[in-house]
Amino acid sequence: MTNVFRSAPLLLLGGLQAWLLADLLSLGDRRWVIPAVVLWLANVALFASAAAFRWRRARRLGPIALGSTYVGVQAFVLGVQLVPAVTFVSVLIAQVELRILAERFAPLLRASISSAERRQIGGALLRAVLRISIACALSIVVPLLAAEVASTGLVPLTSILTAFLLSGGLIVVVVLLALLPALERRARRPAPFSDEAKDI
Amino acid sequence: MRTSLSSGLAAASLGLLLTGLALRSWSVVLLALPPILVLALGSLAPPLRPEVVAVRSLSRERMATGQVAEVELFLRNQGPPLDLVEVADLLPREFAVVRGTNHAVVSLGAGGTLRLAYAIRSEVKGDFVLGPVRARSFDPLALGTEDARVNVTSRIVVAPAMEDLRRVPIRPRKTRPWFGQVPSRRIGASTEFWGVREYVPGDEVRRINWKASARRDRLYTNEYEGERSGDVVIVVDARREAFVGTAADNPIEHGVRAALGVANSVLAAKNRAGLIVQRQVLDVVPLAFGRKQLYRILEHLIHVRPGGEWPFNYVGHVLSRFFPRDCLVLLITPLTDRSALIGVMGLVARGYDVAVVSPSALEIERRLGPGKADDAIAYRILAMERANLIAQLRRIARVIDWDPATPLALALGRMMARPRPA
Repeated sequence: MTNVFRSAPLLLLGGLQAWLLADLLSLGDRRWVIPAVVLWLANVALFASAAAFRWRRARRLGPIALGSTYVGVQAFVLGVQLVPAVTFVSVLIAQVELRILAERFAPLLRASISSAERRQIGGALLRAVLRISIACALSIVVPLLAAEVASTGLVPLTSILTAFLLSGGLIVVVVLLALLPALERRARRPAPFSDEAKDI
Repeated sequence: MRTSLSSGLAAASLGLLLTGLALRSWSVVLLALPPILVLALGSLAPPLRPEVVAVRSLSRERMATGQVAEVELFLRNQGPPLDLVEVADLLPREFAVVRGTNHAVVSLGAGGTLRLAYAIRSEVKGDFVLGPVRARSFDPLALGTEDARVNVTSRIVVAPAMEDLRRVPIRPRKTRPWFGQVPSRRIGASTEFWGVREYVPGDEVRRINWKASARRDRLYTNEYEGERSGDVVIVVDARREAFVGTAADNPIEHGVRAALGVANSVLAAKNRAGLIVQRQVLDVVPLAFGRKQLYRILEHLIHVRPGGEWPFNYVGHVLSRFFPRDCLVLLITPLTDRSALIGVMGLVARGYDVAVVSPSALEIERRLGPGKADDAIAYRILAMERANLIAQLRRIARVIDWDPATPLALALGRMMARPRPA
């Protein structure tokens, strides 16, 4: 159980790297293939150095480099195929989430702890993995549904104005989601002369 | 608090959106949806601030270095259910967890409890505080955190290990008028034969020397050597420059261990013992007898930490003000500089009987080093310098060059067997 859990992020990463390499090798033009493979090797070197030297910044940069290489190749050279691209991005996010979980849980599962503690920790771990799986599945299905809705013509996306409005809306959603924790904290903080403060 | 993952996801989604708009590609815009969805799912249930109470119990509050103490931490959630909460009982870095864990990631329902049982060990002496307890709750996808600290602290004292010096008598040269175990070169009541004198009325019959009386045809009485007690002042050099090696293996830690062993041996032999520690401040424990004095010395030794850059001569000033001249000064110093030589010369000139125990910083460093060819040459040069300094010191005081890997009793036994310098 522990070994499977610890190796899951590594296996996922290996799969994603193989996927990216397969895409790069499928480029017909040799002028593109060689720089693309060099880029892939740099990617692998970044992950390897992060693992070998416990270089925190490389560990953070690794998934960004992998994702941007994939999206860049898809967007500029191959042309985006929606289903594999959405799956790739979702699996990449799941890999990062699993790696964070593995870093947090693996030392606990290795330690000599009582069966009650092990059961409690195992329960929390299973719930966390289940949540990541659901989030990963939803993040694949919802964009595909959105694409389906757009292609069937339920939403008129043909005009430049609607495209800009929709994109603007998405940007606002992203910014709000990013700022949500800070806004919540500010809302929870009592005002200097509020009733709550007077009671204290 | 936002984690770096949530910031990364927000940045990725924005980047993909802008790239999609720039390229006028709806497929790329749709690629921004997975990170947005993960952010949205994570934000559905933001992390709650943990409201927990904790109780810690220890199997012992005082222990020796290398001993194991069992710790139990009970944690109770008094707030709303916490989906994923990380709990860590913070320990000083000198402690190692040898069994169990002081850290867990669990789910805690309302009123839910968590019990962490673990065993700790420290190889370094000191007065430590366990705790506080840190609790960090996560949202379902670990994109945000909320921290709480539970101020539950427990004091634990780790005493230095005691050297066994029972077989090494540490005897001051000059004695005091109190009864003790040091032969005093004066007539008194003990079992060591001193001489014979003529009988005087009042002498005990069992002390009459019948053989001498029969030979001389007069009564003669045996006289015995009186056993008195003496004073020993232990001086521990804990200046910053004396620290060489690791937290557990350095001349100061070994010096403290030696000082405690010597104090125990001296006090057990009914002598008075005092202590001076030269660290950030000069610690002074005046001379006294008995078990209580051992605890007083132990209390001071527990708090010894390397620090301070005092010249060695200050010890001389303190000795001349607080301690009598006829005491044995046992100086525990790694002799990392030549100022010790001048300091010892000053003490001897004032009339103190000085003995030096020098835990070798050189041997400690040699054990830690990788052992390259250059190191061997450097070791030989430094060893010669040290041997030269010790040879100079031996002209005026008894000195032992102690490799802390060997028992102190062995080295002290050799020193006590050696005649005092003239």
